[in-house]
This record gives sequence, structure tokens and C-alpha cells, in this order.
Amino acid sequence: MTERRLSGTGVTPLSGVGRAVWYAPDLDTDDPPDGGSIDPSAELARFESARADARAAIEADRERAAEQVGEAEAAVFDAHVQFLDDPQVTAGVEDEIDAGAAAEQAVERTFAGFIEQFEASDGRMSDRADDLRDVRDRLVRALSGADGVDLAALPGGSVILAERLTPSDTAKLDPNRVAGFATVAGGRTSHAAIFARSLAIPAVVGVGEPLRDVEGGASVAVDGVEDTVVIDPDPETRTAAASDDDHERREAPATTTDGTSIEVAANVGTVADLEPAVESGADGIGLLRTEFLFLDRSTPPTEDEQYRAYRRALEAFPDDRVVVRTLDAGGDKRIDFLELPDEENPFLGERGVRRSLGPDASLFETQLRALLRAARDFERGEGGLSVMLPFVTTVEEVRTARETFSSVAAALDVDDADRPEFGVMVETPAAALLADAIVDHVEFFSIGTNDLTQYVMAAERGNGRVEPLTDDRQPAVLRAIQATVEAAESEDVWVGMCGEMAGDPDLTPLLVGLGIDELSMSPVAVPRVKQAVTDVRDADARALAERALAASTSDEVAQLIEAYRS
Amino acid sequence: MPERLVTVVPEDGIHARPASKFVEAANEAAADIRVGRPGEDLVNAASMLSVTGLDVGPGEEVQVVAEGDGAETALDQLERILRTPEDEL
Repeated sequence: MTERRLSGTGVTPLSGVGRAVWYAPDLDTDDPPDGGSIDPSAELARFESARADARAAIEADRERAAEQVGEAEAAVFDAHVQFLDDPQVTAGVEDEIDAGAAAEQAVERTFAGFIEQFEASDGRMSDRADDLRDVRDRLVRALSGADGVDLAALPGGSVILAERLTPSDTAKLDPNRVAGFATVAGGRTSHAAIFARSLAIPAVVGVGEPLRDVEGGASVAVDGVEDTVVIDPDPETRTAAASDDDHERREAPATTTDGTSIEVAANVGTVADLEPAVESGADGIGLLRTEFLFLDRSTPPTEDEQYRAYRRALEAFPDDRVVVRTLDAGGDKRIDFLELPDEENPFLGERGVRRSLGPDASLFETQLRALLRAARDFERGEGGLSVMLPFVTTVEEVRTARETFSSVAAALDVDDADRPEFGVMVETPAAALLADAIVDHVEFFSIGTNDLTQYVMAAERGNGRVEPLTDDRQPAVLRAIQATVEAAESEDVWVGMCGEMAGDPDLTPLLVGLGIDELSMSPVAVPRVKQAVTDVRDADARALAERALAASTSDEVAQLIEAYRS
Repeated sequence: MPERLVTVVPEDGIHARPASKFVEAANEAAADIRVGRPGEDLVNAASMLSVTGLDVGPGEEVQVVAEGDGAETALDQLERILRTPEDEL
């Protein structure tokens, strides 16, 4: 049998192979429940009770998704509750019931209008229609008493085929049992796609009509890198697709074709992000933001509370480096209990290490104590805990912070062997220009390209009017990176990168060529960047970096990168 | 009537989590809040359907208008949500 290839949109940079299983939730709302007369007040009561059931179901899914996928992804279910309680939905359903519809039809018709309206526009909006379908289906299921198909109970190694998957469907998938999924409809920014990425499930969406002809039980390979669904795959296709299932392979450190090892690490913003980071195959944590411990509360976290959170991060990566950034308050990060001053321009005000050495000195010491205790108590393999200062601009800041760090370490009797590495985040032009002086006081640099780009280019990210200036490919940004790398190389300290730039696989050859030792990114990007690293030829990457540093415009840099890829 | 013009920062625009936080805050406020593109019809900020239906992307400017008790406080909070990058919400 020869294989057949269908194309779609890959939403996860992974592939998998398995047996096709059609998922078709059966929701029949065509006939009124009893065919008899309808009592509007009874129907309204049924709707209210279904709404309460649906709300409880959404909340249960939210809780599970927060645990298994991540807090950020789980937030989609907050939106679902809001759709459920939307005044327009309630009014629409009540009107339909008053006009004589049964609750099922009232829900169906009300949502049909909104779904149509959302689908009439393209992109994000039509993907949001899937959220409306999800809420509608819950209401209809609650009204009819039907159970959804239990996606968690599929046979292992299934490839799920469906018209579309709702966020709640996808959130229930067990990455260890599902080899992948493919859908007729759906787009890259749908919540189902976002869940698939977080769960590292191979997925291709929007395959279109030809997918419907695939029979249940057929052998199917889903390749999110090539954007294809292959029916009856040849042995070679099968082997290639199945190898991506191999977690070992994902966990292997990434080396270039010439054997240069590049650490591909994950950025982590909360304890809930740890599991996706581990699952992604990351070689450690390149940036643990600690603000989550301080946000949305009226008093500072205790030393023990922090200690437990840091230990959990170390336990998640027992053999890898975990870089923890000390509290970066100020700027756009408002911490309720600190009563930050109103500043004319908080991005140029008292933030990061400026606060840690000023008004938040005792908070800083508490955080260092928690970090040093975690480093001291946790029996580690290789790797270790690293402490990183945010928003550094002067040598004095680094020296003073290091003195505090050393005295806290001495007070806690931390052995030299257990003492964390001490480094700074390079995210201001001052730190990049002064890197050759700062390097004498640190064991590493990590370049935070989001802020570095913003400050080098004097252009705010997110301000559409100046967007082209905030491109990482701006030569001025590359030169700031180069200054940092040169300083690091002169003293033989390692240099990483933890901004969005690090997670863009198109830029991997350039960054490797510039001499970056570690790239840290959102867990989702880890597999793709690891793949990009293994494709790099050192000499070509260095030549690309040299040309890019000599370029005078971001267009030239973009063209050089494009030319390298082809 | 108190109002604000805000350039939307989150990379999803007023969708997903930012939209959710925005609608939640609008529901909690005692004041009546309306939102939309400047010069166009404004919609009920407490309705997720209406707010998502605006399809506002990042970098776009929106007008937020409040009427009633605590209008300024509510606007402060709503403005903050629209100005906060997604991964820090």
C-alpha cells in the first residue's frame, strides 16, 4: 500500500504515529425532548440548572488544566465561564424560550448567531468560535444528560481525528496515550492548539475535507513539523515520525553538526510551569522569574515559602542548572504590598536591583537566604543553582549585591561547593557596554533581549507605532549582544540568552555563531530550537554572525538569515 | 464622563486571558463600563461576547468610558490590564 499525504497546519513541532480513532461528540438538538407542549418557565428552570452544571464542569476542568497543563493555559476556562454568564447569552436564550423553544434549541440558536458572527471574521476571532462551541456543547450535554466521550480512556497510541477539538477536549488528552491528533477545521491560535503545544502532543489542524475519508483504525502519522498527515505511512515515514515520540531523544543535549554543545533551557514563571518545562526536554531552567511569589498578596512571602518554591524547581531539574532571577519589582511589574512610588517613567525608574539595594534591601536578603538554603540542602547531581540580578547598570550595583550574597552565604555556612553561581542579566545598554568591567564580578551573563532591545532602540515593545524598531534583528541589538559575548569570553564565563529571541529557531544559527552558550525560552519552543541547534554548522554560523555584525540595517540582517536558511 | 484612551499591550490583544481579566474587572466595578475603538460604537465591557467581538489586536488604541460610582478607580484598573504584557498578567 502506498502512503497518502494530506497537508494542514502543524501546531506542535512534533510528530507521532498510531491508529486513527474518530472523535465525534454526538449532540442531537433537532427534536424537542418530548415532542409535546413546552412550558417556558420549566424550560427556563432547566436552562438555569444546566448553566450551574456547566459552570461546575468548567471549573473542574480549569482546576485540572492548571495542574496538568499550566495556569496560563487554564485561564481559557475563565473566559468560558464568562461566555456562559454573558448577558447577551442569557437574554438570547430567554427570548428563544419565551418564543416557544425548548431549552436545547434556545441554546443552540442563540450560540449559532454568535458563532456565525465570530467566524465571519478571520484568524483569532474564528478560532474563538471554538470556545463558544465548547460552552454550547457543555450546556447541551447538561440539558440532555449525555456524557461526553471520554478522551482520557482512548487506547494507547491513538491518533485522534475530529471535525475540530474544543479546548476542553484537548485539555483532557493524556500525552502518554495519545500519539497525536488531526482536525478538519481549526487554526494555529485556537486554544486547542495552545493546549496541544503545552502538552507536547503532535498535532495538525485545518486539514480540510480529505481528512473525512480516513477510516477509523487506519495507520496514521501526524507530523507537526512538515504540516502533514500521512495515511498508511511507509516504513521510513513511520520510523521518522515515531522517533519524535521518544522522550529520550528530546532530552538529549543539543549539539551542532561539529559537536558544539548548546544548552537549551526553559523560562519558568510559576511552579505550575515546571512540569511542562521538564516535559519539553529542556536542559534546565535558564530563567526562573520569582515575581509570582510576590504578586497578588498583601504581605511578602516568608523565607520558608520561598525556600519550598526554589526547592521544587531544583527537584524538577536535579541534574541541570537552574537560574533564579531575584525579584524584579518596579517598571511594569507592580507588587501590591510594596506600594511602589508613582513614577513619571517607571521603565527608567527604580526597578530590579535598584530596589533590591534600596528600599527592598531586607526583602532581597530574605530571598538570598531562601535561595542559599535551597542550594545548601538539596543534594545535586551536576548543574547547580545560579542567582541572577535583574536590571543591572553599574559595577557598584554588582559589587554591593555580591557582598550581600557572600555575607548571607557565610552566615548560613554554605560550602564553596554548594555556593550558587552569581551572575547578572544583561538587559540595559549600560550593562552591555560595561560588560568587560562587570565580568570581573560574575560567573555568568544572561542576555534579556526583550528589555535590551527596548532600551537599546529606545522603543517600547507593544507600541505599534514603533514596532519595526523593536525587532531583534536590529544591528544595534546584535552589537550589544556581541559586546557581552566578547566580555564573557575574555574571562571564560558562560553567556546565555533568555529573551524571546532565544526561542526563535530561525535565529538559532546566528546566536550560536555569535557565541551564545545557553538559550532559554518558553518550554513550547524547546524541541524546535534543539532541532535547529543540531542542524547548525559552526563555520557557517560564525560567518553568518560576522556578516550580521557588519550589516547596517535590520533588513540586511533578515536577508542574511534568510540566505543562510536556503 | 471619565474616560481613557489606551494602547493595548498584550500580544493576544483583547482576547483570551487579557479579555477575561478585563471583563472580570468590568463586572466587579460598580460603574457602568463601555469600551470600543475611538469614534466607533462602544460595547458593554462586562460582556465577554461583546468585548471579544471587538477583535482588538495588540498596538490598537481603545477608548474606555465609565459612568457611576468609582469610575476613576475602575478605569485605573482596566487601563492597567490593557497595558500589562500577557506573560505578566
